[in-house]
Amino acid sequence: MSSHREAPEVSKDPVADNTDTYAFVSPDNPTTVTIITNYLPAEVPAGGPTFFEFGDDVLYSIYIDNDRDGRADIVYEFCFESEITNPNTFLYNTGPIGSLGDPNWSKRQSYTVSRIGRKHAMVLAKGLACPPCNIGPRSTPSYAKLEKEAVHSLPGGQKVFAGQRNDPFFVDIGSIFDLGDLRPIQNLHLIPTEATAGVDTLQTLNCHSIALQIPIGQLTANGSAPNEVTNPNAVLGIWGSASRRKVKIRHDGKDDQSAAGPWVQVSRLGSPLFNEVLIPMSRKDEWNAREPSEDEDFLPYVQHPELAKLLPLLYPKQFPNLEGLTAPREDLVAIFLTGLPAGVVPGFQNVSKKGVLAEMLRLNVAVAPASSPNPLGFLGGDLAGYPNGRRVTDDVTNISLRAVAGATFPLVHKGYKPDAAVSAVEQGITPLATRTQATFPYVTTPHDGFDFPSVTK
Amino acid sequence: MKKLTPAVGGAGGEAASEGTSRREFLQVGGGAAAGAALMLGTSGAASVAFGKSEAGAAAEPKATVTKPSGSPPREPVTAYVRNAQRGEVTVMSGKHETTYHDPALAKRLIDAAGGTIK
Repeated sequence: MSSHREAPEVSKDPVADNTDTYAFVSPDNPTTVTIITNYLPAEVPAGGPTFFEFGDDVLYSIYIDNDRDGRADIVYEFCFESEITNPNTFLYNTGPIGSLGDPNWSKRQSYTVSRIGRKHAMVLAKGLACPPCNIGPRSTPSYAKLEKEAVHSLPGGQKVFAGQRNDPFFVDIGSIFDLGDLRPIQNLHLIPTEATAGVDTLQTLNCHSIALQIPIGQLTANGSAPNEVTNPNAVLGIWGSASRRKVKIRHDGKDDQSAAGPWVQVSRLGSPLFNEVLIPMSRKDEWNAREPSEDEDFLPYVQHPELAKLLPLLYPKQFPNLEGLTAPREDLVAIFLTGLPAGVVPGFQNVSKKGVLAEMLRLNVAVAPASSPNPLGFLGGDLAGYPNGRRVTDDVTNISLRAVAGATFPLVHKGYKPDAAVSAVEQGITPLATRTQATFPYVTTPHDGFDFPSVTK
Repeated sequence: MKKLTPAVGGAGGEAASEGTSRREFLQVGGGAAAGAALMLGTSGAASVAFGKSEAGAAAEPKATVTKPSGSPPREPVTAYVRNAQRGEVTVMSGKHETTYHDPALAKRLIDAAGGTIK
């Protein structure tokens, strides 16, 4: 969750596993959009001696659809290169790392970021330094300084950061994948136990983030920064991906490798939990390899989600209305595949062109950031939150569980009454305020391995 | 899934290219830096070369076993027999991939592998 180790093949390839994608109008810089794509799920902070890093042999991409056809019009590509500056040590660092150029740092990584539009491709910057992983008070005593150095301002007005972060996604993985248990209502479960609060599984775990802040006018189809929600140009489709070369040739007895052939997409992510919960295990890697414009093939899984059938079985007598709901879930189709047309939610739309069925995060950039964001997004009356893009503080698990449980079906069928239990559906987590930060890159300082030697702390 | 489509510069519909989707076009534009012109140039040149290979295959000497002369290049031209019976060989050059109908080349590769086309 939301797409951590979600598919059989990519679960074995963590550096290419796109775990989360976020896209929102930057709250402290509302003329820009911030997009964050995360990789490397569940990094243990004590990750030595070979600390985590991006894959030099992976192409990381962020896609923008700005004409609502479900196809990319702009791609931002990130290519990483690692360097061993001291070939004679087994240590990641041979002394405190005081700066991104510190000779004590033995293995470091930098990257190139490119922008490819429909007419032009250009390298935005080369040799941008990643911060080191957060190791401990002896090795990275001034981590705040290092992560600040790793925020790069580009000539075109963009900001970019790539490196280790505390994984901002909060979810109770241990309970949810134990037969759909939700600890706050597990007394109602088919196999009941006493109700308790939820557990934030990823609280002490890290990931690797790519964060990019871009002026809105560089993303929209006509170069404008729309301020009318009804303006079609205000709607951006956004997703991330990771790709590998088709062939890799290992050199006998050497670390070096060769590659051949085109990039092959092995992971993608727009909306959280889509591949995780809606797509069956047998087709998850196939979905990862597809483009959003090819998603019509997966429509039945959205119209008739397996989880909606399981909830009445797992929580007996709690979801009688959901149990009787056999109509296609056009509410979920709108949220995930078509966008919400005008008139469904007052004062909002993020709809694609007619006939487009494409899973993407859809962000209407004309909706101003909320002064007091509600983690339940739309379900909490906050149109600046999920599923209008996704902020790092949005409780997408609760939103998605309640939506699948029937909370959003009245948007398309006014006569449907959600079960009373829907409002009780929750994972029961209030994430620590320190799980995110208020300014770019919004994903915050990773935990270090000395102070968090075990995930049980 | 992606479908085979005739490659620009291919000979008489005998060559087919994968990776012609809009996304991959965009990726070629940036990831390969040199862009679509190089991609098409490579495809066309390879097509001509393989055309010669097929016509003159019978006159060429047999492959012999040799000791590799060093590490492979970083971006080796790589080929595999996609469908031996149909004589289809897929060639990857840089980030581009093209499938050719070249029974002679397919047979040479199968022979080098110690097998026969069934």
